[in-house]
Amino acid sequence: MFDIAPTFRPVTTETPVARWVLTGLAVAGIAVLVAAPLIAVFAEALAKGIGAAVASLGNRDALSAIKLTLLIAAISVPLNAAFGIAAAWFITKFDFRGKAFLITLIDLPFSVSPVVAGLCIVLMFGANSLAGGWLVAQGYPIVFALPGIVIATMFVTFPFVARELIPVMIEQGRAEEEAALTLGASGWRVFWTVTLPNIRWALLYGVLLCNARAMGEFGAVAVVSGKIRGQTATMPITIEMLYNEYLSVAAFSMAAVLTLLALVTLLLKTALEVRHADALAANHRH
Amino acid sequence: MGRPLIHRSPMPGLGLSMGITLTMLSLVVLLPIGALLLKGATFGIGNIWDTVNRERVWAALFLSFRLSFFAALFNLVFGVILAWVLVRYRFPGRRLLDAAVDLPFALPTAVAGIALTALYAPNGAFGAIAKELGLKIAYTQWGIFIALIFVGLPFVTRTVQPVVEEIEREVEEASATLGASRLYTLRRVVLPMLMPAALTGFALALARAVGEYGSVIFIAGNIPLKTEIAPLLIVIQLEEFNYDGAAAIGIAMLLISFGMLLAINLIQVWSRRRIGYV
Amino acid sequence: MRIEIDEISKQFGVTAALHPVSLAIPSGALVALLGPSGSGKTTLLRILGGLEFPTSGRVLFDGQDATGLTVQDRRAGFVFQSYALFRHMTVFDNIAYGLAARPRASRPPKAEITRRVTKLLELIQLPDIGSRFPSQLSGGQRQRVALARALAIEPRMLLLDEPFGALDAKVRKELRQGLRDIHDETGLTTVFVTHDQEEAMELADLVVVMSMGRIEQIGKPQDIRARPASAFVQSFISA
Repeated sequence: MFDIAPTFRPVTTETPVARWVLTGLAVAGIAVLVAAPLIAVFAEALAKGIGAAVASLGNRDALSAIKLTLLIAAISVPLNAAFGIAAAWFITKFDFRGKAFLITLIDLPFSVSPVVAGLCIVLMFGANSLAGGWLVAQGYPIVFALPGIVIATMFVTFPFVARELIPVMIEQGRAEEEAALTLGASGWRVFWTVTLPNIRWALLYGVLLCNARAMGEFGAVAVVSGKIRGQTATMPITIEMLYNEYLSVAAFSMAAVLTLLALVTLLLKTALEVRHADALAANHRH
Repeated sequence: MGRPLIHRSPMPGLGLSMGITLTMLSLVVLLPIGALLLKGATFGIGNIWDTVNRERVWAALFLSFRLSFFAALFNLVFGVILAWVLVRYRFPGRRLLDAAVDLPFALPTAVAGIALTALYAPNGAFGAIAKELGLKIAYTQWGIFIALIFVGLPFVTRTVQPVVEEIEREVEEASATLGASRLYTLRRVVLPMLMPAALTGFALALARAVGEYGSVIFIAGNIPLKTEIAPLLIVIQLEEFNYDGAAAIGIAMLLISFGMLLAINLIQVWSRRRIGYV
Repeated sequence: MRIEIDEISKQFGVTAALHPVSLAIPSGALVALLGPSGSGKTTLLRILGGLEFPTSGRVLFDGQDATGLTVQDRRAGFVFQSYALFRHMTVFDNIAYGLAARPRASRPPKAEITRRVTKLLELIQLPDIGSRFPSQLSGGQRQRVALARALAIEPRMLLLDEPFGALDAKVRKELRQGLRDIHDETGLTTVFVTHDQEEAMELADLVVVMSMGRIEQIGKPQDIRARPASAFVQSFISA
C-alpha cells in the first residue's frame, strides 16, 4: 500500500502502524460521511426499478422543474462570470483605497445563511416593499417569480468566479498586459488576446463551481420562489415537495439527476486540477 | 497628504470594470442586505429584542450554534487528519478520496438532506444499526449534528492541505536531530504550523453550519424547542407573512455571521503578524 | 568524538549518490566536505546525522557502530542550509527545544534550561534576542540561532550544511570566524558542507574534496593546494 519500505524509516514520516491507522480513519470517515449518502440517493431512486425512476422524471411538473433550473443557471452563471471578470480586473489591475474592504464585501454572501439571503431579497423586492411594489404595479413581479429566483441564486453564488480569478490574476501580475499596451493593442484586444487566455482555466473552474451551486441552491430559492408547482418550483424545490408527499422514488430520481451533475462537476474539477494546476489558484494545486 | 482614492494607471477599463463591479455588488448583495437592515431599523431595536427574546427563538439559536460548533470541532480534527493523509501518504485511491472531499460542496443541500435522512431513519441502512443499539439518529439532534458535519466537511481539509504541502521537511528533520520523537515533532512543530489554517477552516465550517437549511430540515424533525434550527424559524415567519419577525431573527443571525467573519480575519491577521504567514 | 566512515554507499533508486567512500575524522577536527552540487557531500553529511541511511557500509562513532542509531539517539547538532528554525516559536523556545523535548526523567528543570539558553545566546553574541521570532531576525542572526539551537542538546558532533550559503559576502566572513571560535571553544568534531573552495580552505583543518559520489582527495588545505590529486581537484580549487 505504501512505498516499498526502506531498511530504515525516513525521519519525516510516521510509523507504518500510525500511517495505516490514519489512512484507515480518513477512508472510513469519507466512506460513511460522503460515499454512503451518495449510494443512498441511487439506491432509493432505483428502489422500484429503473423504469419507475425514469418515468417519474417524465411528467409535466418534473420537466418544468428541470427546464426552470437550467434556465436559472443559464441566466445567473454568465452574469456572475461577467461580474467575476470585471471585479477581478478592477481589483488586480488598479490600486485604490478600500480594496480589502471590497473583497470582504464580495465574499460576504458566503457567510450569510441562504435563508437570510432569500429574506433580504423578499424585503427588497417583495410586493410590500418600495421597489417591489412599484415593479408589481408595472407588471414585473420579482418575488415568487423568475427574477427573484435568479437574484437569489446570484446572491448565494456571487463570490465563486471572482475568488478564483483574483489570486490567479495577482500572481500573473500586470507585465504582460503592459507589454501588449506598449505594442499598441487596444484595451479590449489586450483582454481577449492576453488576459483571457491566461485566466481561462481558472475562469472555467469558477464557473463550474458556480453552476453546481446555482442548480442546487435550495434555502434562498425556497424563500423567494413561493414554490408554485410548474411555475417557480426548481429541481431542489420539487425534490422537497415530492419527498414531503412521500413520493420517494420520484424525489430520489430527481435527486439522482442533480447528484450526477455534482459528480460530473467533481470529475471536471479534478481534471482541471490535474491538467492545469499551474493555471489555478495556488490552493487548488494538489 | 492623503493617498489618492484611485492611483493613475495605464491599464484600460477602469470605468467599465469598476462600474460593473459596484453596480452588480449593490444590486445583488448590498441593497438586499440594506433592505433587511432598514426593515430592522423601522421595526425598532426594542421590537427586535422582544421577537428574539422568546423561548422558542433562543432554543433555536442555541441549538444551531451548539450543534454547529460541535460539528465544526469534529471537522477540525477529522479535516486535519484527512489533509495530512492526502498530502503525505501515497496509496491507491488517494485521488478519488481527494475528489470525494469536495462532494458536500457540489451536492445540492436538499439532495444531501433527503439522502442522509434515508440513511439514518430507523428503517435506513445506518438507522437500523443504531436502532439495534437503542439509538435514534434521524429526527433528533444527532441527525442535525451529522448533517452539519456533512456540509462543513471540506472546509478544514481544503484550508490545511496547502499548508501541509508547504511545510519544509528540514523543519521536521531539525526537530528530530534535536532529539524529539515523531509524536513530539507532530505536536510541537507540525500542529502549531497548521493551526492558523485549521482555525480558519473551522470558522468557515461553523459559519456555514449555522446558516445551513437544506440538508438539515429533512433529518431534523423540526420539533419546536427540541430540533428546530434558527433558519427554519425565519422560513416559518415568512410563511405567516410576518416580515418583521423574520427580519428580526435574520438580523440576529446576520450579526452573528459578521462576528464570525471578523473572527476569521482576526485569526489571519494575528497569525500573519506572529509567524509571517497564514 | 572520532568519526569513521567505512565503505558507505547510497543509492536513490537507480542512481548512486555515493559510491563506497571511506573517511576517518579525528576527534575535535574541523572538516570541510567540498564539492560541486551533486557530488554527494550533503548526502554524506545527512548519513552522519542519521537523516539518511546508507545502502551499504558502516558509520562508527569512537569505534562504536552507529549505523543503525536513530536520528534522535545520535545527538548530532545539525545546522540546515535553510536553518529550519521553528517560526512559531521565539528564539528562546527554539534554542530550548531540544532540552524540552527530552523525556521527563532526563529533562533539565526549567531554571537550568533558562540558564543554558541564556549562556548560548551569549556564546553567539546575541544576548537580547530571546523573545523575538525568527521572522524578525537578519540572515546572519538566524544562522547563529540555528547554531545555538544545535549546541543546546550538548551534541557529540556538529554537522553544518552550507552554513553560509544564504548570506551575503560581508556577513559570511564574520560568521566564518564565529564558527571557528565556537569550534575552538567547544572542541566539538565539526563537519561542514560547502561548494566554496575558498571557504573550505580558509576555515577547515581538513578538506575532503568530493565529486560524482566519490572522494577525490583528503588533506590539509595547503597540501591540497600544493599537490592536487587529480585533474578535477586541480580545476575545482583554482576556479
